[in-house]
Amino acid sequence: MNQELGNLLSKKLDSESINGEIINLEPLTGGASKEIWKFEVKLKDKSEKYILRRGSGIEGPLAIKTSDEAQIQKTVRKLGALVPEIISVSSLSEPLGDSYIMKFVEGETIARKILRDAEYKNALQNLAFECGESIAKIHQADIAEFSFLPKKTVKEQLSDLYETYTLFNQPSPVFEYTYLWLKEQNFGEIDDALVHGDFRLGNIIVSQDGLQSIIDWELAHVGNPLQDLGWICGNSWRFGNTDKVVGGFGNLEDLLDGYNSVSKYQVDAETVKAWQVFGTFRWGVICLIQASAHLNGTINSVEKAAIGRRVSETEIDIVDLLFLGGR
Amino acid sequence: MIFDKPDSVELLDAVNHFLNEKIKDEVPPHLAFKLRIVENVLNIVSREIALGEKLSDEVIKDLRELIESDTANIKDLALLIKEEKLDLQNEDLKNLLVKLSKNKITIDNPNYSTYKKLVD
Repeated sequence: MNQELGNLLSKKLDSESINGEIINLEPLTGGASKEIWKFEVKLKDKSEKYILRRGSGIEGPLAIKTSDEAQIQKTVRKLGALVPEIISVSSLSEPLGDSYIMKFVEGETIARKILRDAEYKNALQNLAFECGESIAKIHQADIAEFSFLPKKTVKEQLSDLYETYTLFNQPSPVFEYTYLWLKEQNFGEIDDALVHGDFRLGNIIVSQDGLQSIIDWELAHVGNPLQDLGWICGNSWRFGNTDKVVGGFGNLEDLLDGYNSVSKYQVDAETVKAWQVFGTFRWGVICLIQASAHLNGTINSVEKAAIGRRVSETEIDIVDLLFLGGR
Repeated sequence: MIFDKPDSVELLDAVNHFLNEKIKDEVPPHLAFKLRIVENVLNIVSREIALGEKLSDEVIKDLRELIESDTANIKDLALLIKEEKLDLQNEDLKNLLVKLSKNKITIDNPNYSTYKKLVD
């Protein structure tokens, strides 16, 4: 066990009046950019499970501070959105660093397990509808509560992505074509809202009973919320189940039925396709950003190096969508 | 080449075999995930050594035919698209972008679902 981290957690939880021995502290396989630890606090007659999510203090160009993620979770939880309860938040200047502690939610996040294991089979039937509903609920949050988040129009986001791509000096004919195509699309005339920014398997907790929680708010921002619908339809997030358009488990119709059952704004499939291409381009640029952290010597990471060779996945997905009738 | 056997691809295969057979079951789960990435990386290098030049040349040949140049490369094509000096609806251009993408993914990840779907 990591004794030093255990001591830091113990002190932090003391300040929230949770006093007990930290046990079973273990790292979880998380995203490429954050540390995630699971642990238990031994209380008098029981033990409680928690998660520590910890940033490095250096955010990528699209990411927000870890402590800001906690603030979003607190706010949307009040509105009834499915997010884990935040127990304690630490700022970068505190010993624990830019991080937060939340209650552990039972369920699974690993996409391949959710898609493969028999115990989730029933949950998957209704998951696309549930995701649509949940996304729509997030989008109803009052954006006045999120003045600390970046706010971007679609046009600004597109040109940001394009400029980020050009920084890496690795010209891609497919990305150049995509950028011109995207500039001509209609992304839906809808009011700005809180955008999760990375809503997909891996960032949601699923149990046998269906969707339990929405986590990993690192890419949250304020803008055109329909981005969240296109993102989960990207082939990168179907984990090989390419014929199931929504996250590798569901149909677009079910996702939209779920969304439109909550939202005043009724979304159609064509708008989602524009966002799907946008999302695929965005994921490609994120791959470039991740790889550059390795390439420019910020950190030496085989994970980040490898992700540079995943840009080509987004290119083949885009040409499939634009030229070959892909969905 | 002046070097003895095993050649570079054969060396990489031996490392991959070692990782798969001897190391994989010995590492904790969070490192097993990284070990899979390491194996993927070695496979990319191996495929690039074996097929990279051929797959690259194929694309450059079509690219030079399309833009009628003996020296043009990927950067030139990207620039011509950016400046809209090519007809974006031209089928040969679309086919070239498809071929470029297919050939890249053949090296990077031939198990990728879209690639498998398009090849079948």
